[in-house]
Amino acid sequence: MWAMLQTLNDEVPKYRDQIPSPGLMVFPKPPSALEYTYSMSKPLTYEKFTEDLKRFLEPYSLEEQKNLTNCPDGAPFKQNGPVYQACQFPVSLLQNCSGMSDTDFGYSKGQPCVLVKMNRIIELMPDGSPQIICDTKDAGIANILTYPDRGLIDLKYFPYYGKKRHVGYRQPLVAVQVIFESNATKKEVTVECKIGGTYNLKTQDDRDKFLGRVVFKVLVST
Amino acid sequence: MEPEREQSIAIPQRNESPRPSLKPVTLNKNLHKRRKKKKDLEELKEEVAMDDHKLTLDELSAKYSVDLTMGHSLKDAQKILVLTGPNSLTPIPTIPNWIKFCKQLFGGFSLLLWTGSFLCFLAYGINLHYNEKNEKDNLYVGVVLAVVVLVTGCFSYYQESKSSKIMESFKNMVPQQALVIRDGERMQINVKDVVLGDLVEVKGGDQIPADVRLISAQGCKVDNSCLTGESEPQARCPDCTHENPLETKNIIFFSTNCVEGTARGVVIATGDNTVMGRIASLTSGLTMGQTPIAVEIEHFIHLITAVAVFLGVSFFSLSLILGYGWLDAVIFLIGIIVANVPEGLLATVTVCLTLTAKRMARKNCLVKNLEAVETLGSTSTICSDKTGTLTQNRMTVAHLWFDKTVYEADTSEDHTTGKTFPKSSDTWFYLARIAGLCNRADFKPHQESVPIAKRGTTGDASESALLKFIEQSYNSVNEMRQKNPKVAEIPFNSTNKYQMSIHLLEDNPHAHMLMMKGAPERILDFCSSFLLNGQEYPMDEEMKTDFQNAYLELGGMGERVLGFCFLNLPSNFSKGFQFDTDEINFPMENLCFTGLISMIDPPRTAVPDAVSKCRSAGIKVIMVTGDHPITAKAIAKSVGIISEGNETAEDMAARLNIPVSEVNSRSLKAIVVHGSELKDMVSEELDDILKSYREIVFARTSPQQKLIIVEGCQRLGSIVAVTGDGVNDSPALKKADIGIAMGITGSDVSKQAADMILLDDNFASIVTGVEEGRLIFDNLKKSIAYTLTSNIPEITPFLLFIILSIPLPLGTITILCIDLGTDMVPAISLAYETPESDIMKRLPRNPKTDNLVNHRLIGMAYGQIGMVQALAGFFSYFVILAENGFKPLDLLGIRLYWDDQSLNDLEDSYGQQWTYEQRKVVEYTCHTSFFISIVIVQWADLIICKTRRNSLFKQGMKNKILLFGLFEETILAAILSYTPGMDVALRMYPLKINWWFCAIPYSVLIFIYDESRKLIIRRRPGGWLEKETYY
Repeated sequence: MWAMLQTLNDEVPKYRDQIPSPGLMVFPKPPSALEYTYSMSKPLTYEKFTEDLKRFLEPYSLEEQKNLTNCPDGAPFKQNGPVYQACQFPVSLLQNCSGMSDTDFGYSKGQPCVLVKMNRIIELMPDGSPQIICDTKDAGIANILTYPDRGLIDLKYFPYYGKKRHVGYRQPLVAVQVIFESNATKKEVTVECKIGGTYNLKTQDDRDKFLGRVVFKVLVST
Repeated sequence: MEPEREQSIAIPQRNESPRPSLKPVTLNKNLHKRRKKKKDLEELKEEVAMDDHKLTLDELSAKYSVDLTMGHSLKDAQKILVLTGPNSLTPIPTIPNWIKFCKQLFGGFSLLLWTGSFLCFLAYGINLHYNEKNEKDNLYVGVVLAVVVLVTGCFSYYQESKSSKIMESFKNMVPQQALVIRDGERMQINVKDVVLGDLVEVKGGDQIPADVRLISAQGCKVDNSCLTGESEPQARCPDCTHENPLETKNIIFFSTNCVEGTARGVVIATGDNTVMGRIASLTSGLTMGQTPIAVEIEHFIHLITAVAVFLGVSFFSLSLILGYGWLDAVIFLIGIIVANVPEGLLATVTVCLTLTAKRMARKNCLVKNLEAVETLGSTSTICSDKTGTLTQNRMTVAHLWFDKTVYEADTSEDHTTGKTFPKSSDTWFYLARIAGLCNRADFKPHQESVPIAKRGTTGDASESALLKFIEQSYNSVNEMRQKNPKVAEIPFNSTNKYQMSIHLLEDNPHAHMLMMKGAPERILDFCSSFLLNGQEYPMDEEMKTDFQNAYLELGGMGERVLGFCFLNLPSNFSKGFQFDTDEINFPMENLCFTGLISMIDPPRTAVPDAVSKCRSAGIKVIMVTGDHPITAKAIAKSVGIISEGNETAEDMAARLNIPVSEVNSRSLKAIVVHGSELKDMVSEELDDILKSYREIVFARTSPQQKLIIVEGCQRLGSIVAVTGDGVNDSPALKKADIGIAMGITGSDVSKQAADMILLDDNFASIVTGVEEGRLIFDNLKKSIAYTLTSNIPEITPFLLFIILSIPLPLGTITILCIDLGTDMVPAISLAYETPESDIMKRLPRNPKTDNLVNHRLIGMAYGQIGMVQALAGFFSYFVILAENGFKPLDLLGIRLYWDDQSLNDLEDSYGQQWTYEQRKVVEYTCHTSFFISIVIVQWADLIICKTRRNSLFKQGMKNKILLFGLFEETILAAILSYTPGMDVALRMYPLKINWWFCAIPYSVLIFIYDESRKLIIRRRPGGWLEKETYY
């Protein structure tokens, strides 16, 4: 067993063929199913969400990222080591959902923010200009806003070189804000996000509902 | 069979245990009933007590208050019928087929699997009710277990249903119509209505309607073969010829056949009171104990259940301590118990037994009841019939005495001994002539191509023996008869004890010669001269003494001796003389004595070998025969049942010239017990005989006594095999641990009561059967050891899943793939393994101590080899996870996150994030590789299970089925892993080639480990290692 462990590479796992394409996941993670259910008038029901978000975004503060590289936009940030640098991801990109202007991330106003992120996979390199496209089928109930605009993820955050080599790597984030129509009687909406703008990442898999896509539900009561 | 009821017959005290009863009244009633039943059964075992054959006709008439010419009046008959009930056998309450089927489904091993199945459904139900998650694994296992039980149940039901139809054949034997005389009129009535004392008439072709005491008979012959197994039709007359009602000639028995002639008699027993009825009720009332293998399987189930419950409960507590909820703990508990159930073993055992049964059938042992296959192997006592089993069932000339010399004839089955005698002597010429001419036996036509010894003949056994002998060693008898035509004869009868015929002579066509044969002492009375080397000498004392000595010598060898003499009739009785055999108008005295010929039913050629094999195998062979003690002893000695140098009390008394009572019985090893002695013995005395003598012959025994002997042996803890052919043997056959019926001479009823049928009636086949039985016991051990071993690598993943909270290393479906897929053929192939040493050179196993599955076997399989196998599995599991990014240490405690379907960004040791489905695919790949690792270590396990003591290098790899098994399990594993679509169907994924090699070092380790263990066992017999690990 020990001998087996010695043969392992510390930086890159031997096989990556089991994860050829990343999954999408939301943050904060509701306790069981992906349902954001809370009441605007009862802060306790959403406190956990906002707390989680705050904690999650801490590493993304300017203070925390000052040692990171300000990489050039629009191109993959390929490196050959032995020292790997991580690119800054200014939290301000998340605009309304950055927590800077609204520490409640819109929850208290009934316009909750949810972060969507693409799973990290070592040396994954998306084609084109990847973006997270979010939509809802429940038209007329809510508008879905994404930050940065159009949910674009800059190529400079790719490729990822692994926990060991790529210290300080900031996973690029896309925030989704659900803004209910003022006349909507029932504030319940299902949001589907998927990866777009790229060809080599799968978004359709019969069995894996999270491969390149994610579906979550937002249910806000007064 | 109804074990509950019958057990209480055997041990009625059981009901008296101070078990609180809600209904004491009914219990007492039942108890009473059961006691009565037991008493009845004891009664049935007693001898047939009947004195009707000894009564005079008047006494008979008085006893049954019947007129011996007019019969009963109609009214009386009616009254008696009401009183005694119909003349038919009480039908046994038959067990409906569905109950028999259920017994197959719920007996022994099946029960274990059902319990497992039920627990699975329970776990599934709990899961479904409390967790909405749709875990169908438990459901699948439950269904698969149920299917396995159903399929094997149907299989064994089908095997069993072919047998056990005893009562049905008794039923078929009941005749339909009977001719009775009532009120002086003959009338045809239904056999059911025949009553005690009825006057009945039977004629050739009829079935006897009841037990009948004859009052008159004309040439009546009955075929008692269905009762006694004697195939010769026997003459019946109104005279009492024997004390024993079964032997006397004036009684004919219910449901036997009248072959020829007519007879009239008085009904002395009807229905269940007839001899046949008693046997029928005795047979059906007997308990059949559990077969040894059933006991072993029960023992095994206890062990396995104990292990399962122990593991289950300890991990139940452990999981509670670790902080799992009650519900999870219960599901774990069930899961662990179920994982311990060896799903494939029931099928494996059944198939192994079936295979051996087939192999035995090829060796002329047809096994009706699968479990009996092994019983034969554990047999420690064989009670064998003499006639037909030990002997050829063919009277053959064994010795000749002429010219004052005893000559030996060739009695072997194929005449290979080449024994010969001076055929040039003139005395032989006369002797052969008399034997051939004064002989009514004849060959059946169209048998020219058949060897003489095997040709069918008409006529009585001794005459046929002479006929064949003369045909073989002298000349064609037919030709001789044509040349010397018979002009008159007096046939043999039991009062004359001789047979006489007068022939024209071929060398002197006008002269007659009178020839006579018969009981030697009668023949000697007729003679005034004797022939020596072709010369006639007057009879003298010296000759008479010689004759007596020869007669005693031959008779003492248990042979049937006939004397031969002749007389050349004077010329006034030349050709054309009208001989009157009733008035005897010719001289029949002063004959010339020629010689003696003695005959015996010789032992089969292969029997002495077989008996000595039994002896070296520690099996006691007891001869039980209806024959005379002298004949019985002679045969026993010639086949080695009484071994050379051992003498009975009588022998020793004769040798030392002291009375039998003074012989020190402690110094004796052999005994011949007479049926009449046995009759007066209490069971302790019998036990004493069975215990203290190694070589026992029971002679002149009745069928009931056979049963008593069997029970005696069983009381002493022996596993008893009994051979038999007649209906009368069926109680003993059924009572025996394994009843062996004769395929050729056996009656249908005996075949049905038996567990095994000897197709060639040859004792030697039993021995090959024993060999097969012992082999399968050894091989089943190996098979079970092999199968059980993989249980550990199947259970441990689940245990570590609970304790270490790692992703599940081996799934339920893969476990089933092992148990019911890859392990099956290899396990079965072990049934083909050749014995390691001469299994016929060791003692029969002791059913109490030498178990099929003991703690050593479990210890080896579970504690040692199984553990190494588990290591192999876990190794490949960790390798795959680590190579995909999850290092072993990071796996600890990951279970809750791993199995959370909504958690789709689980981070591995390298910072990569996995969706639920992605990591599940890796997990299932691990299951597949764990599965394949088990297959690979099972290679080694299979190879080490081939032997229990010997090195593989001695045993070799000659078992082709086993090689096929190795190949098959590997191919099957590859198919399961690589077939497209398996990911959907069974959730098995293709493995990278190098993951196959993970387990190979462990495979080698297992092999080396076990070879060294066996080496030490061989080097230090009786040592600690042997005591602890030799199973």
